[in-house]
Amino acid sequence: MPQFFSNKRLIILLVSMIVLVALIGFSLRERNRPSWPEQFVKDTTGWVQSLVAKPTHYFAGLFSSLHELENTYQENKELKSRIDKLASLEAEVQTLKKDNQSLRDTLGEKQTLSDNDPLPATVIGRNPDRWTEMLIIDKGNVNGIKKNMAVVTATGLIGKVKSVNQFSSTVELLSAMDPKNRISALIQGKSDVYGFVQGFDEKQKLLLIKSIPAGTTITKGQNVITSGLGGIFPKGLEIGKVVDVKPDQYGLNQTAYVKPGADFYDIQNVIVIKRLMTQPQVSQMSSGKEEDL
Amino acid sequence: MKKILLPLLFVCLFLVESLFVEYLPDQVFGQNWILVPRFLFSTLIFLTIYTGKKQGILYAAIFGLVFDVVYVEVIGIYLFLFPLICYLVSKIMHLWHDNFMIAFFVTICATTLLELGSFGIQHIIHIANLDFIDFLNLRLFPTLILNAIFLLIFGYPLKRYFEKYAARLSGE
Repeated sequence: MPQFFSNKRLIILLVSMIVLVALIGFSLRERNRPSWPEQFVKDTTGWVQSLVAKPTHYFAGLFSSLHELENTYQENKELKSRIDKLASLEAEVQTLKKDNQSLRDTLGEKQTLSDNDPLPATVIGRNPDRWTEMLIIDKGNVNGIKKNMAVVTATGLIGKVKSVNQFSSTVELLSAMDPKNRISALIQGKSDVYGFVQGFDEKQKLLLIKSIPAGTTITKGQNVITSGLGGIFPKGLEIGKVVDVKPDQYGLNQTAYVKPGADFYDIQNVIVIKRLMTQPQVSQMSSGKEEDL
Repeated sequence: MKKILLPLLFVCLFLVESLFVEYLPDQVFGQNWILVPRFLFSTLIFLTIYTGKKQGILYAAIFGLVFDVVYVEVIGIYLFLFPLICYLVSKIMHLWHDNFMIAFFVTICATTLLELGSFGIQHIIHIANLDFIDFLNLRLFPTLILNAIFLLIFGYPLKRYFEKYAARLSGE
């Protein structure tokens, strides 16, 4: 048996262990922006990735459209039946919108929590290590993206912006097991119920909505949207549908299991949502420690 | 041209891993497995075995750092694990002849070690809360199978290429 580590090697190993701990500590600390060498590396790889990503998106799109061709007849039938209802729905929406506008004008309120400014972006990479579910998108600081903005697809909320570089940024998905990920949610029903999206059930692929008061009744199939009360996300982004409700460990709160509306896999295009209503300052809130979105 | 071929190979693998998780796994294999492509790492181990310790550890450190900065956003995890495991592999391969099946087996062991190491670090810094049994069943075994398939397909060409590269280095 040869000696695996000589004295010199052992010292190198110990020193690198200390450096490892220091580096991890450095990168885990709350940071507004990655340091410039990191941004430089990320932007450079981001550029290469976007070169590769666009042709692959094209080919993947080609394959999936071939696949979709099989079900076209069935889908067409179903869509035709739905489109009949669409015209009346559109008229209704139009009148409601007008109503809403005139009522808002009489109230003198110009902005609402749901006002937002969408910015489309293309996914150019995904974290292959799969411990933290993260996407890399091709829009960055120069396009006006800021930390913590909401990110959605056509079918619902998928996550928030985790860090921003000059020309690319990183999106953390809701399915990431990050304890700091917390989003104020609203369960729509006869009376609205508020809670926090907090955690993800890896086996059942369901989002957990915690801190729902015990007295409230929630039924299966109710819609869940963002409430906009956290101060960073706008109101009304779709999160998903309730599938199950369970009482908490101590019976004081309830936890709702929500099937996310968006698919967390196979994401190619996303929309970054900028909230237009002013954000409350940290100092105005009771304690600035917790980061509720 | 020949000089940039090796870095180019690793850059390609670096990008392919990300594209792989973006497109493939969850439609093909059902959503309950966490398949982690460790193609870059397997190739690094092959480089260590067939070309040399020095090149292996150098490339492992560079690509570990880039991997950390770009994908994981926690600097240090793979910067530390990639070179360390490459070093251990080079020590172990001193004992055996570099037969392809042994190299294959050692690479699978190294991937296991890497997964265990990253599991340990993620557990300490509380990013993941997967328990150990789930980690084995959901993540480790599918990952090993995936990487074994990768090695069976690309292992032999890689071996040939790295041996040629080593011969060229010693010839210079």
